[in-house]
Amino acid sequence: MSDTMLMVNDLKTYYRTRLKENVYAVDGVSFGLERGKVLGIAGESGCGKSTLSLSLMGFYFPPLHFGSGSILLNGNDIMKLPYETLRKDYLGKQIAYIPQAAMNALNPTRRIRRYVVDVLTEHDTGLDEKAMLNLAREKLSFLNLPDRVLDAYPGELSGGMKQRTVIALSTLLNPSVLIADEPSSALDVSSQKVVMEMLRKMLRESQVQSMIFITHELPLLRHVADHIAVMYAGEFVEWGTAEQVIFDPIHPYSHALMGSIIVPEEGMKSHSLSCIPGAPPNLKNVPKGCRFAERCTYITPECRAENQVMTTLPDGRQYRCRFSQEALRDMYAKEVPANA
Amino acid sequence: MKANFALAAPGAQGKKAAAYILTALLVGVLIVIALSGHASLGWRLALAILVAAVVASYAMPTFGKYLRKRIYWYTGTFFVALALNFLLPRLIPGNPVDIILQDVLAGITDSSAATALKNQYIAQLGLDKSILEQFFRYTGNLFKGELGMSLYLAQPVAKILASKIPWSVAIMLPSILVGWLAGNLLGAYAAYKKGIYEKVIFPVSLFLSSIPSFIFSMLMLLWLGVSWGWFPVLGGFDAQIISKQSGVYYMSLLSHWALPFISQTLIVIGGQAIGMRSMALYELNVDYVLFAKLQGIRDRKVTRYVFRNAMLPQVSGLALSLGGMVAGSTLIEIVFSYPGLGQQLMMAIRNVDYPLISGCTLVISITMLVANLLIDIIYGLIDPRVRTAQAEEG
Ligand SMILES: Nc1ncnc2c1ncn2[C@@H]1O[C@H](COP(=O)(O)OP(=O)(O)OP(=O)(O)O)[C@@H](O)[C@H]1O
Ligand SMILES: [Mg+2]
Repeated sequence: MSDTMLMVNDLKTYYRTRLKENVYAVDGVSFGLERGKVLGIAGESGCGKSTLSLSLMGFYFPPLHFGSGSILLNGNDIMKLPYETLRKDYLGKQIAYIPQAAMNALNPTRRIRRYVVDVLTEHDTGLDEKAMLNLAREKLSFLNLPDRVLDAYPGELSGGMKQRTVIALSTLLNPSVLIADEPSSALDVSSQKVVMEMLRKMLRESQVQSMIFITHELPLLRHVADHIAVMYAGEFVEWGTAEQVIFDPIHPYSHALMGSIIVPEEGMKSHSLSCIPGAPPNLKNVPKGCRFAERCTYITPECRAENQVMTTLPDGRQYRCRFSQEALRDMYAKEVPANA
Repeated sequence: MKANFALAAPGAQGKKAAAYILTALLVGVLIVIALSGHASLGWRLALAILVAAVVASYAMPTFGKYLRKRIYWYTGTFFVALALNFLLPRLIPGNPVDIILQDVLAGITDSSAATALKNQYIAQLGLDKSILEQFFRYTGNLFKGELGMSLYLAQPVAKILASKIPWSVAIMLPSILVGWLAGNLLGAYAAYKKGIYEKVIFPVSLFLSSIPSFIFSMLMLLWLGVSWGWFPVLGGFDAQIISKQSGVYYMSLLSHWALPFISQTLIVIGGQAIGMRSMALYELNVDYVLFAKLQGIRDRKVTRYVFRNAMLPQVSGLALSLGGMVAGSTLIEIVFSYPGLGQQLMMAIRNVDYPLISGCTLVISITMLVANLLIDIIYGLIDPRVRTAQAEEG
């Protein structure tokens, strides 16, 4: 039994705008995801997190287009599958997605029960309608939702219930990979915690084999993620365990990000990531050189001259900077602590 | 056009209570009149339907409450409309008697004789009574099913209305139905297929829906009627034809009908296509489409979700235009000199013909109100979003 659920290799995808310009929103992303693990992806708004999560589904429709790379799900390259196979055997079955706006993810004029049947009939489950609804009931009660949700229209559910209903629906078939794009951003703090806790519980009880969790609120990731990838302008700039990335970031961008949240979460809950001065490069036309260079405190002429590749350290950590980790750590140590 | 939604959302609690009390009073008056033995059959029937609907509504918990509320609101609105029907014609500057006696008075040189004649007419028409007294007489007659006599045409208003309404309906009903269907199909197609379809359908529809309808009708009249001579340009049939049973007469009816029908249909198509396209485009981009697609639901099914949802507002548009049918035909009838109710209303206003104006506007108000009520009921039944909103509000 292979324990690698998802293997992504040099994935490149882009939007084609109405003006026929290309926005390279995911530009060479690689990573692996193991059974039972949660990968958190963090980065400021517009860096391509949602695009990446959508791209991982392997189903592209305009304006999003596939560029190159491979996505191996349980060992099968889903980019090589015919659409019908992908739709029937993968989407919603092996790989599931909770959209960023989960509040509006349900058809307002369809009762949940009919939607459940709609989804399950697409996937050759061999279940009859009664069995399908029983399955849905199990999921709902797992998420502490009453059975009557089945007979409700989405508009009749509260925000938090809708959120959990979407989670229940997306995990009906125990997917290998669940991608949650900021699933809790619209909720209050305590509801957020509930959602997190439920997702973890689903993982523990193997209702979901592995998870990708996207957010721009880093403190959340600390309790949810096993690994964290920091994304910047369409690329990963750092990858490591949650502990490593949060408490000992290597890349100057991660360092700047984490510097702003080292303070205990209380009272600092929604510290914005974009408090680093400057703006990321335009993804339509990415300049040569390191993408973070213009905002980096440690910029050198070489940074602008050559593209940066990922460096992999012996312990598996990765970062995208021309400096060695020792050099970076030295520079950080010399820096006067900002909040002193 | 959005009046029904405004009605649905009364502001403060107190306003709501006042409205209920007012409606209850009015319904009481209505019942007293109905039971007093003077009311006409039509009124009793209407009242019976209303009462039956209210009673039946108690059998249905949420929807019944919604239904009752609608019925109360529309009954109240009806009485307001009734008062306005009476009042508005009387605000038109000018005096019906002056117009009726225009020719006669021109021949009379003795001013005291002229005044005497005028006063005699005024008394005969009941215009010397106070406005309140006139109003009660008007409503009293109305509940007996009498609409009065046209001052200018000296014919019963009911008879005039009955002879004019079929002409308006003949133009509007088919053009609304055909135009609605074609417009929605085109709009949905443009939204879904994009590309060349959208590039042709969208600008043409935009043109049709944004050009003032009477200008468009006049252009049609000019091109197809006058310049190219394809269609007759005036009236509802050829007045030269004597026998109203002959095939020639029917052909003439048809050829006179064609041009206003085509113009009106094109106008409806334009508006509907624009509306449908933007609704569908909006729905195609909402989050549930993405979620459903990524759950592996086939495209055909997702498209069905989308068009069902985009269709709902369009259905209410259809009912609204059907309700506004009689009123909506006025411009077309004037441009094409078509002998319908709209043209009649226009003439009645010019002649300051109070009973005839009130009669026309009464027909218009009733069709409007009934259509709106029906939309609300149908809508409440088929669209859970409206239902929930109603349940929360009540
Ligand atoms: N439909 C689209 N057409 C063209 N460009 C797009 C489209 N959607 C997103 N983009 C661009 O792609 C880039 C990545 O967007 P994406 O939505 O993935 O960001 P994100 O990291 O999810 O941001 P957020 O945290 O705000 O959700 C942005 O620069 C954005 O402007
Ligand atoms: Mg996003």
